[in-house]
Amino acid sequence: MSYLIDIVLIALSAALINNFVLYYFVGICPFIGVSRKVEMAFGMGCAVTFVISIAAIMSWTITTFVLMPGAPLSAWVAGFFVSSESAAKIDLTILSYIVYIFAIASSVQFVEMYVRKFFPLLYKSFGVFLPLITTNCAILFACLKIMSNIVGVDDPADAWDLGRSLTLAVFGGVGFTIAISIMAGIREELELCDIPKPFKGAAITLITGGILAMAFMGFTGVDSGLKKAMTPAPSIEMKAPQNTAQ
Amino acid sequence: MADQPTSMERFIQGILPENPVYRQLLGLCPTLAVTNGMKAAITMACAVGFVLLCANVMISLIRNLLKPHLRIVIFTLTIATFVTIADRFLAAYMYEMSKTLGPYIPLIIVNCIIICRCEVCASKQPVITAASDALGQSIGYGLALSSVAAVREILGTGMFFEIRVLPTAWPDWVIMVLPPGAFLTFGLLLGWVNWMTSRYAAKKQVKGSL
Amino acid sequence: MEGLKDNKIVQAWLVLLLAVLFGGALSGVQMTLGPAIEANKINETRQKVPELLGPSSANGESLDIVSRSVNVDRQGKKVFYSVYEASVNGKPAGWVAKAVGQGYADKIELLLGLDPGLNKITGLFILEQKETPGLGNKIVTPEWRGQFIEKSIQSPLEVVKTGAETPYEINAITGATISSRSVTEIINSAVKDLKKPLSGQTRPLE
Repeated sequence: MSYLIDIVLIALSAALINNFVLYYFVGICPFIGVSRKVEMAFGMGCAVTFVISIAAIMSWTITTFVLMPGAPLSAWVAGFFVSSESAAKIDLTILSYIVYIFAIASSVQFVEMYVRKFFPLLYKSFGVFLPLITTNCAILFACLKIMSNIVGVDDPADAWDLGRSLTLAVFGGVGFTIAISIMAGIREELELCDIPKPFKGAAITLITGGILAMAFMGFTGVDSGLKKAMTPAPSIEMKAPQNTAQ
Repeated sequence: MADQPTSMERFIQGILPENPVYRQLLGLCPTLAVTNGMKAAITMACAVGFVLLCANVMISLIRNLLKPHLRIVIFTLTIATFVTIADRFLAAYMYEMSKTLGPYIPLIIVNCIIICRCEVCASKQPVITAASDALGQSIGYGLALSSVAAVREILGTGMFFEIRVLPTAWPDWVIMVLPPGAFLTFGLLLGWVNWMTSRYAAKKQVKGSL
Repeated sequence: MEGLKDNKIVQAWLVLLLAVLFGGALSGVQMTLGPAIEANKINETRQKVPELLGPSSANGESLDIVSRSVNVDRQGKKVFYSVYEASVNGKPAGWVAKAVGQGYADKIELLLGLDPGLNKITGLFILEQKETPGLGNKIVTPEWRGQFIEKSIQSPLEVVKTGAETPYEINAITGATISSRSVTEIINSAVKDLKKPLSGQTRPLE
């Protein structure tokens, strides 16, 4: 049950509360560049969601088995060269950035080849965006977030499993799709507006994005409220009578 | 190749006429994300400058050995390495700052400025030119970041470099240090820069026709 | 020789060479900076310990700090705490526990100082929070945190809007009742979880 709550909270937080674009500012380049038409924006969003999920699976696997301090696979390999105590302490986190970026680049390549071969229709709708995605910050950002939730926790039992990581990635991608599609819808209308010349294009998009970000700020606190509502019994029983003033 | 800009021209061009943020719209993620305080913005600009300079020099040194189809791989490898070095350096000597900047330091890897400069300039030019190009672009980047950060920090907290500059009666515009403030500030500044540029260009044209 | 030249691996010699070169550079960086980074990470919480135990705890003498982890069973769910045990010349001087919980926005991570007899709070420090700037993030101010010092932990603390009177009441921050309540709740549950495992034993437990 508590696992399910966790998943729901991660999903909600990634998609709406801490939206990748409007809260963390990752993936701003496509947000401004590819948000002219709703169909294009939606295609881009789908492509990002697709790649981000694959990258998340890869980065979770690599981090857990190879990169994190005392990771089983690297400890096993190192065991052939050094004593088993020092092999257990092996820490390859310094390589993580390089590994992630290459994992992303290669997964984009494979996805592109695979989709072009087996799903030509799908390729037609979002294939053109695939090469652009390698340099999309959102993907690397998702990998880094997953890493910080595996390496950066005090209690090894708190480290994220594949399910949580995948939820973060998929709903991060969904959040990106939501943001970019709303933006594209607004921009289609903006075409008909009389915007001062210097503000045409990127500037007005950014200002609109600011207003959107303000709207999304309204979601703050939803997660803490939801958590309280879904947790079956309060963790602390209050001795004093409940204060009705609150 | 006669009208190739010299290294000095490249240096000056990077600062204002071809400012990476305002004119080329590159590297926007950190421009919006880390500009709620001057200190963070300056640190970020220094980190980007370091990576850009090292990557440009490195690529320029090996430019004759590059093969077209392996070019991007080498760029990425170089950039990722220098970003890791910068990240570790910050964690060792400026721990607080590295926690504040968090994931935005590793995100320099996918910052379009660096790979763009490697591709456009460093892979074709000798070391001195590449280095001055990198310096110019980083100064331009630093200027852009600090312009956004200055507005946001002063209006949002009434402080500049964490020193109070506005009277305490100033009602802090909290929205400025929150995410929407980044979009609004940068959008307005970008529009203002566009307006100034077009006015400047119009003036020049009038002068030229006389 | 011709076959060798067309080989993909041979073509990529520059990539491989660079990879080896950069690998060497990175291991050098790790060797020189690694210890400093580790020390930073540990000091971040450890340096706060004397401050959190209050001025009277050490009496100018140096504290011995031992860190350990405590696993607690809370309603069938395992909860994990990092606890620092401080002592002066072998005599217990107090406890500092790191506790995490849900705030208004994202998690709040704090350090809680307790006296050796587990009777009162000696200090509170917010390590990490993402509460609303200008409202919720006032939980980090010494004025607000100061309310918790010397509070007894015999019964759970409670948040009131204004005018805390009884020894178990805490004033909420105006406009940030949820943030204030979150911090208080984190403290309450940490105290409840840790009271049993910490009391009665001053030396290692696993």
